[in-house]
Amino acid sequence: MSVKKIFKIIGVVACAAIVASGIPGWVINDSDADGLNGNTVVSVMFHVSSSSKEGQAYKKRIDAFNEAYKDKKIKATANYIPRTDGSSAYETALISMKISNKLPDIITFDSPKCSYYAANNYLYNITNMVADIKDEFFEGSINYYNGYIYGLPIQESSAGFYYNKDLFKKAGISDKEISEYSDESPWTYEEFKSVCSRLKSVCSKVPVNMSIGGTSDETAPYLLYPFVYASGGQFASEDGNTVKGYLDSEKTISTFEFFQELINEGYTDDKVDANAFYNGETAMYLSSGWTIADLRNKNYSAFPNGSNWGLLPYPYGEEGCAASATGSWSFGITQNHHQDKAAARELLKWLVNDESSRVITEHTGMISAKKAVNEGRYDADSPEAMLLQQLANTGKARPPMVGYSVLSTTFNQIIHELGRTNNLRDLITERTVTLQETIDKY
Amino acid sequence: MGTISILIFAVFLAVFLGVVTYDLYKSKKNGTNFRIKNCVVGFLMVAPAVLLTFLFILLPMLFSLGYAFTDFNQMRPDEVNFVGFNNFKEIFREIGAGGDMLSALKNTAIFVVGVVPLQILLALGLALFCNRKVRGVAIFKVCFFAPVVISLTVTSYLWVTILSPEADGLLNSFLALFGIPEQDFLSNPDTAMLWIVIISAWQGCGYQMLIFLSGLTNIRSDLYEAARLDGANAWYRFIHITVPGLKSSVLYITITVFIGACRIMVQPMLMIGPYPEGWTLSYYMYMQGTEYSLVGKSSAIALLMTIFIGLVTFIQKKVLGEKKSG
Amino acid sequence: MAKKKLPLLDADGNEITVVKQNTSKIAKNVVYYVCGAVMSLFFLFPLIYMLAYSTKTEAAIAESAGTLGMFLPDFSNLGAAFDNYKKVLVDYDVAKYALNSVRYAIISIVLNVIINGLAGYVLAKFRIPGKRFFTFIILFLIVVPVETSIIPLFIVVKQMLGLNGAATILGIVFPAAISVFNMFLFMQFFQGIPKDYEEAARIDGAGNLKIFFKIILPLSKPIVATVAVFCFIGVWNDYLWPSLLLTNNQDLMPVQAALTIIQQDTELSAGAKMASLVVTSIPIFIVYVAAQKYIVQGFGTAGLKV
Repeated sequence: MSVKKIFKIIGVVACAAIVASGIPGWVINDSDADGLNGNTVVSVMFHVSSSSKEGQAYKKRIDAFNEAYKDKKIKATANYIPRTDGSSAYETALISMKISNKLPDIITFDSPKCSYYAANNYLYNITNMVADIKDEFFEGSINYYNGYIYGLPIQESSAGFYYNKDLFKKAGISDKEISEYSDESPWTYEEFKSVCSRLKSVCSKVPVNMSIGGTSDETAPYLLYPFVYASGGQFASEDGNTVKGYLDSEKTISTFEFFQELINEGYTDDKVDANAFYNGETAMYLSSGWTIADLRNKNYSAFPNGSNWGLLPYPYGEEGCAASATGSWSFGITQNHHQDKAAARELLKWLVNDESSRVITEHTGMISAKKAVNEGRYDADSPEAMLLQQLANTGKARPPMVGYSVLSTTFNQIIHELGRTNNLRDLITERTVTLQETIDKY
Repeated sequence: MGTISILIFAVFLAVFLGVVTYDLYKSKKNGTNFRIKNCVVGFLMVAPAVLLTFLFILLPMLFSLGYAFTDFNQMRPDEVNFVGFNNFKEIFREIGAGGDMLSALKNTAIFVVGVVPLQILLALGLALFCNRKVRGVAIFKVCFFAPVVISLTVTSYLWVTILSPEADGLLNSFLALFGIPEQDFLSNPDTAMLWIVIISAWQGCGYQMLIFLSGLTNIRSDLYEAARLDGANAWYRFIHITVPGLKSSVLYITITVFIGACRIMVQPMLMIGPYPEGWTLSYYMYMQGTEYSLVGKSSAIALLMTIFIGLVTFIQKKVLGEKKSG
Repeated sequence: MAKKKLPLLDADGNEITVVKQNTSKIAKNVVYYVCGAVMSLFFLFPLIYMLAYSTKTEAAIAESAGTLGMFLPDFSNLGAAFDNYKKVLVDYDVAKYALNSVRYAIISIVLNVIINGLAGYVLAKFRIPGKRFFTFIILFLIVVPVETSIIPLFIVVKQMLGLNGAATILGIVFPAAISVFNMFLFMQFFQGIPKDYEEAARIDGAGNLKIFFKIILPLSKPIVATVAVFCFIGVWNDYLWPSLLLTNNQDLMPVQAALTIIQQDTELSAGAKMASLVVTSIPIFIVYVAAQKYIVQGFGTAGLKV
């Protein structure tokens, strides 16, 4: 046999081997595994990667569930599809599953999108199922659509302005002043601006990071939408079907103008990222409760051993109410091919029980949505306590509407243009019209 | 869905049988018969190709055509209604009102007008440069072609890093040597698309260079010899021998680069994002279909694009005046 | 060195003067090479940058920024390079995704050559009724753009054919295996093969399939190689369609689709992200260098025939 022929044979064998080596992977992937060993299999899909902190928490609870329900012959399987920004892999996965009629039994979804999923028949009406436990939650955190319950929160959240104590001192902002802001009556926009202008001279970058650059996903809408409410503005009508006249109302526009003013005065911009705060180049960072854990555990150069930082609440608008960010992801049962929802109900109740809530929020650093878990959990002076109080006092959910994701995208597009456009009003008006057209189709 | 496909398949089957019958009839008339065994074997061998083409090329195309006239929303796949030209009316309204559709048109136009001449001229220049029998020319060819081989995703992410708006990004630190302050590049709406043009030309011209090269080698060298003996200088030889000789290559390249440019999607998606300065026709069309689930509108855009591309290709063929072989 | 030469005469007996060009020729060559080198740099610098970047830690990147060191790998800390690549290949499973790509490529190439080859063979050599119909449709389909059909294709694959779980792979492999352009290429090439080969085989009693595999294909090595190379490049570099199709089967994703997920991971250092880009590009480079001959050939065919 010539050398050439030997090479050829080796080549062919190698190719066959490579292809064959994939078969085990394909088989595993394919096992729908319905009724393995006579178990009822209930599947759940999580929106985080299994190696993240939150994913670890879910894994623990799933394992515990399987342990507890072994005798009752119910087995839970979990799929982890991290939501990435831009192409929203999680969304596409959901649509793909719905099209092929293979939705998992339980899914997680971003709470403002409850109406969207409910209206499009993804979610199952669980009002009767959870009637006995619904009072354990903060009322505002339960996901309703048309008066019925379609989801229960995994956790709650709040956000605030983390600040660098050293830089505040350098800028001449006294502790007394700070304590006034941290109290029952939050600071006003004017006071906020005054603090920013004083910080400008001591910060090597812009004084505050408000995630204006976070427009590729829900970050910017989540952190910034309360400002609209605080100014007395609105996003949409009660039923969520009309945005014309709301999103382009005077007060809403004035909120965007407020952001634009902050950018023009050099108080913030869309380029600064989280590291600027961690390195001491920025004095304030608007972020959610996630950051508490990061500041404590990761030894940032400006905050060695988790020192030197504090937390301030959302400022009051000149008129209207104070508002702060709330809402996180929720669990819901799907309308899928499994008619009998008994097993799904068990898993759902498990995933939202107090123990689950405690474990999950320990991993994520967020606030539990269950009243019992929060009792006595935090020290009175801790930043978590402040967030909890803010949540209770000024927390306002994002507008529940069927077209929420398009609203979110529109919001992002407006924010993205803030630093560049001279014609904010027209931009907002045009965007509102396009948005209205799109949601009319839903 | 399935029923419509079966219907379409039935139509094709009918047409096919019609053509077959016709051919059989003609052959009977001419007295040249088809050998049955050959025919059966032939059909069997073509069958997989036909099936796959039907399933994965024809069907999606026809569905797309169909959806363009419906209000198909992916979130509610069971409620599909025929809406006539509504999708198109809306698209044109958006263009008129200066919405995202207009941005998509504008950006695509900028890109096409920018990249087609740039890439072709670059490719031609490189081809002329490499068209020598010098040692080491092969190395140059490899270098110029290298960017073509890396994928669009790699290119996009790589250039995002190179064009980083921070002061220590590659291009910014280079500009700093000349005292030019740090630039925004991709984050700046005015320059974002221009950079996509440059990057695309950078990546693509090696490909066209090879086509030009093979075209150049087909020009008879004795034409050059004769011209040289007649005293013609390099420029004259270029205009009167090279350019006409490359006519068919130029036509092919212009058409393919143009079509490719109209359909650009991955680079703006990964490098700029879903903002007005980043929309191109394909990108916007894709987003309408996936993010917003409005497959009807998405297909309408697709149909308009296809018609437009087809028209321009046809005009180009006529203007550059070559007959298609085959 | 000039030696006294006999005068050269042309056909009419006139003297031809040969101008000595040695020195200016060398100068010209030097200029040529320098120009070539500079231009090559323009085309290569991002790739060199990518390589260098991928070997550095965050700190090293910041340090070398703005200097020529940007283009040089970090020789002082080879451990960082090793870390980056190991992280990308092992922890983030790029090796797994790359293997996926290779598998899909192999399957697609085999299917591609067989299915399109058979079709081209029939169109080139067989006399069957309705042949013109087929040929016409093929020419038509070559012209119509394919990208506009991604979403309907998704619906066909997911809803109509109901491909799920592992079967989704078929949705990757089959669309990659069918290419009207390749059918056309095969047809053109086979038309050029003289009938004698076939007839000889037929006289020996070979069946049609046997003729195809044992005679036609071996004679068509160049075109098969070209098709294989381009099919590989296509499957390897394909991003949009696999990422759409395999969102809930991420384990099965090919390498480019997985790349986008890696690039957005906030835990990964910039150097490691670059390493992932390098890793996904290297196999293509290898194929490209090894198959250069066929790539150039492929362009020759494409450029002239259409």
